Amino acid sequence: MIAQKKILTDEMVAKIEALAPRYPNRRALTLPALHIVNAELRHVPLQAVAEIAAVLGLAPAEVQDTMTFYEFFYQDKPHGTVRAFVCRSVSCALRGGDHLLEHLCEKNGIPPYGTTADGSLTIEPAECLGACDFAPCILANDDLLKNMTPEAAEAELQKPRARAT
Amino acid sequence: MPVVIVDGQEIEIGADERLNCIEAARRAGKEIPHYCWHPGLSVVASCRMCLIETGQRDAATGKISMVPKLVPGCQTPVKDGTVIVTESPLVKESRARVEEALLIDHPIDCPICDKAGECLLQDYHFEHGQAERRADLHPFTSRKRDVGPTVTLFVDRCIMCTRCVRFTREISGTAELMVTSRGAKEEIDVFPGHPLDNKLSGNVVDLCPVGALGDKDFLYQQRVWFLKREANVCGGCSAGCSISTEHNQDAVYRLKPRENPHVNKWWICDDGRYGWHHLHDSSRILEASRKAVRPDRPDQGSLTPAVETIEWSDVVTGLRADLKAAGRLAVAVSPMLTIEEAWMLCAVARSIDPQAWLAPGFVPVTGNDESFPGGFTIRAEKCPNRRGIEEVLALYGAAGRSWNDLVAYVAAGNADAAWITAGYPGQWIDTATAESFAGLGQLVVQDLFDSPLMRLASWRLPAAGFAERAGTWVNVAHHAQSFSQAIRPPAGVWPEGRLFWNMLGRRGLYDPVSVRQQIAGSSAALAALAGELPATGVDLRIHQLA
Amino acid sequence: MQPFKPVLLEAVGVPDGNTLASYQSRGGYAPLEKILAEKQPAEVVEMVKASGLRGRGGAGFSTGLKWTFLPKDHPGPIYLCINADESEPGTFNNRILMEDDPHQVIEGIILSAYATRASTAYIYLRYEYPQSWHRLQAAIDEAYAAGYLGKNVRGTNFSLDIYLHRGAAAYICGEETGLIESLEGKRAWPRIKPPFPAIEGLFHKPTVVNNIETMACVAQIARRGIEWFKSIGVPADPNNPRDPGSYGPKLYCLSGHVEKPGCYEAPLGITARELINHFGGGVWKGRKAKAVIPGGISMGLMTESELDTPLDFAGPGKVGCLGLGTAAVVVIDDQTSIVDFLHNSCRFFAHESCGQCTPCREGTSWSLRMLERIKAGKGRIKDLDILLEIGNTMGMMPGSTICGLADGAAWPIKNAIKKFRGEFEDYIKRTNPSGWMVTDPVPALQIVGAH
Repeated sequence: MIAQKKILTDEMVAKIEALAPRYPNRRALTLPALHIVNAELRHVPLQAVAEIAAVLGLAPAEVQDTMTFYEFFYQDKPHGTVRAFVCRSVSCALRGGDHLLEHLCEKNGIPPYGTTADGSLTIEPAECLGACDFAPCILANDDLLKNMTPEAAEAELQKPRARAT
Repeated sequence: MPVVIVDGQEIEIGADERLNCIEAARRAGKEIPHYCWHPGLSVVASCRMCLIETGQRDAATGKISMVPKLVPGCQTPVKDGTVIVTESPLVKESRARVEEALLIDHPIDCPICDKAGECLLQDYHFEHGQAERRADLHPFTSRKRDVGPTVTLFVDRCIMCTRCVRFTREISGTAELMVTSRGAKEEIDVFPGHPLDNKLSGNVVDLCPVGALGDKDFLYQQRVWFLKREANVCGGCSAGCSISTEHNQDAVYRLKPRENPHVNKWWICDDGRYGWHHLHDSSRILEASRKAVRPDRPDQGSLTPAVETIEWSDVVTGLRADLKAAGRLAVAVSPMLTIEEAWMLCAVARSIDPQAWLAPGFVPVTGNDESFPGGFTIRAEKCPNRRGIEEVLALYGAAGRSWNDLVAYVAAGNADAAWITAGYPGQWIDTATAESFAGLGQLVVQDLFDSPLMRLASWRLPAAGFAERAGTWVNVAHHAQSFSQAIRPPAGVWPEGRLFWNMLGRRGLYDPVSVRQQIAGSSAALAALAGELPATGVDLRIHQLA
Repeated sequence: MQPFKPVLLEAVGVPDGNTLASYQSRGGYAPLEKILAEKQPAEVVEMVKASGLRGRGGAGFSTGLKWTFLPKDHPGPIYLCINADESEPGTFNNRILMEDDPHQVIEGIILSAYATRASTAYIYLRYEYPQSWHRLQAAIDEAYAAGYLGKNVRGTNFSLDIYLHRGAAAYICGEETGLIESLEGKRAWPRIKPPFPAIEGLFHKPTVVNNIETMACVAQIARRGIEWFKSIGVPADPNNPRDPGSYGPKLYCLSGHVEKPGCYEAPLGITARELINHFGGGVWKGRKAKAVIPGGISMGLMTESELDTPLDFAGPGKVGCLGLGTAAVVVIDDQTSIVDFLHNSCRFFAHESCGQCTPCREGTSWSLRMLERIKAGKGRIKDLDILLEIGNTMGMMPGSTICGLADGAAWPIKNAIKKFRGEFEDYIKRTNPSGWMVTDPVPALQIVGAH
């Protein structure tokens, strides 16, 4: 890969390095580093993976191996400024989780894991969000949306949301 | 000694041996099928093909208590009283199920797969699988990915044993290969722009138990069931890796590492693996010739002297006569020769000129030794037998010399004739060095290819390539390995051993074993070479200490 | 049902219950100070062992016993990993504890670290809990400021750092060695055992992995004593030497088709029916339960007639379920198709199988493909037999996998098909009248990805 311009900013590297004393080796910084980059860029492009690997003293394939395992980090393009995880596991499914996901995708004109054209919203199915007491639920950025009806969810997902983490 | 019970058969194992069930069962002649386990890699126990039943026999009562579930043979160490059951209905069903699972998404494209015939998935399915397919039928897929200069990945054939990934992390230490994604979507891949291009990369093809990783050099060249295998030693460097030369009709198709715990374990480097193509190079010297002796047309100055082809029977007699007539003889004993060949060469030389000045031939060196985390080292010295020929030369009172000494010796006018054995796979001598030999009465050069030196030679003799030789090489660590000829040299080429054998007036075909016995009997340093040598060779020093 | 005052959940509903001040006002951290002053680590191990506390993460292994597996006189470091990767469908008790009473958890961690001689504790927190992350981090900061964490805790020789480490949405990170691998920055492929983490765990050092609720229990045992803990729950079965009993309070998560879903604290051994009726306000809409998951989806299904089973560590196993698991009870009403339920379960496990062991990787995805085909009206009776075979042979218990994920995938399949076979057969025959009896392989519906 030809790296024209660094993707990792000095701030990102500083954040990664700040966590280094917590672990006896640098490989353990892989997930924290991926989260740090993802929090800024909403995806972790290939070049960023290679740069993280360089910072951590790993082969790029080792970081990519770990990253893809989680199926959590987007790589080719960023997810929306709001990333909505719609729970589809058993407790939510029993209360309409699958229907909720279908409805939201249809209303926003995107498939699951799709992002709206304006980049404001990504909708993806999630396994149990651990909020079965509020089924069906959605995690939109840091906000847990509880006891969602399709209509309520539609309205909630129009709102802009901060993302502190 | 600890006793392990394999399918009712008691076998003894060494008190200090740490064997797993697969290894212990093998001692009892039982093969426990496995994919992910490899003795040279970390144990992951993930393919689950080696599941067996185990138990423990109570030393006091003899009562056997079985573990109430299947265990992976690879992960389970044996100790005294371990009971291994490899053929129970439970074990057989488990194997059939793993085979079935692995074939759910496999393309089953054996007719177009290079691995067919040596594929564990195929072999195990035949032996342990079930005849009926139960999974749904889906369209054939055959995705290919270039993962490096030497290896192609056939994605859909992969069974996710991860041997290749572990190899690049644990042995080559280069970590180019990775697993992507998780669950049934997992695939092997490389990171874009970081291909699998380490110097040990070809080993991942050997490690692949199925047809997922293909060696581009071998791909579609030959069906493996046509190949014959000869235990050989790699001539690429002084590591002397044990190899298997795989050939058909006197053509080499590929080289594979041959397991040798003393030398190369399970691996070889790519230089060695692909270092056989020169054998079939069309520019090889394929006949014996000598400078034409034509009184009517004497050689003229800078013109290339005319040469004439000469029959080998005439070489045997003519060469001796020419050298004897020339006078003082200097001989370069090539580190590409086996010790048998070297020993006979020295004997021939001394029979021609009892004062013949013997020295090592040119020792090619490239860069520095290169070591890998898995313990493998590629040597900078690009010849297999420097130590061997030095031992032989010592027997002839010619220890401590070098090729440079020989060049200087000749340049100083101490010799009237020189016999230079070479046999290098590429160019090795420059014109300036070759010129040192220009004024000699006779110059004999034995080599694979033309060279500035060859052009000066009065006797131009072809050499044999490594797979065409027989004899013994001694590697950098004093480890001696004997091997037989894998393929016949091209028509018109006598391996050096055959020429020397005949020049010594010995009868019958060249027999390297008898020469080796003679050498072993005449030298304490080489006494370890006596008798039959194990396939993995012998350490010359250990024998001396004893 | 006897009245029971919540202990683990005492802060729920308390204003600012998540703060240090609130926790201290309820008696928190005083037990820690007392123990640090008066007890040796080994005595704390003994205390927890004697309490009969069994791990709340799902396997129910004795917590104190687990600690004793650590090597004696190890030069260190010894690591404590707190498993907050709560991902078992139906389970959210750890979330409640972390959000509403993080100091209870932290006190438990400090006590456990003291007992195990660990000086570093990592809390592996699932990504999907941002609120827990904020609350825990705030509580950790408070605890550092108050001298409960850091160098020389409260002036003693004991030092401890607690670090939060976030996951990235992979169920398998809840398996203790998957968690360790993930923490080390690798794909979360569970390790083969032995060596067990107590001998060689995180960063190749002796490691204890404990659950969040277990930590809360440790804090409460320290505060209220062994006798209190043992007075709650179900004593050991005298006829079963391998039953160590089910002591202490337990957080039950109730969800699905009940009127009042929620996390409820009750003595171990409450029956599913009591839980549904007493706490949950009954099955929703006045319906009847068709089936109930006793402890997270991995544990399988109980039928309506099995609802009087006590939800202790031994109970669910007696009706063919895998165990108590996370004590997450999910109610499925009689209007729900069991085919849909099993499809949901298979989809979950196909998505979450880590892909390491062949039987699980292929078994979970094959099960999902069959369920998808059945739901598409192309099911065959033969599929049920194949599903059952997969269910019977995939998992750590038959020995075909490294970890227990596959057992969790297998149990819903086995329970659903064995306990509701009639419904499956009716569904298949009704939706595929011309093909239900086919036994030859049929074309795949599609190439089913795990997503």
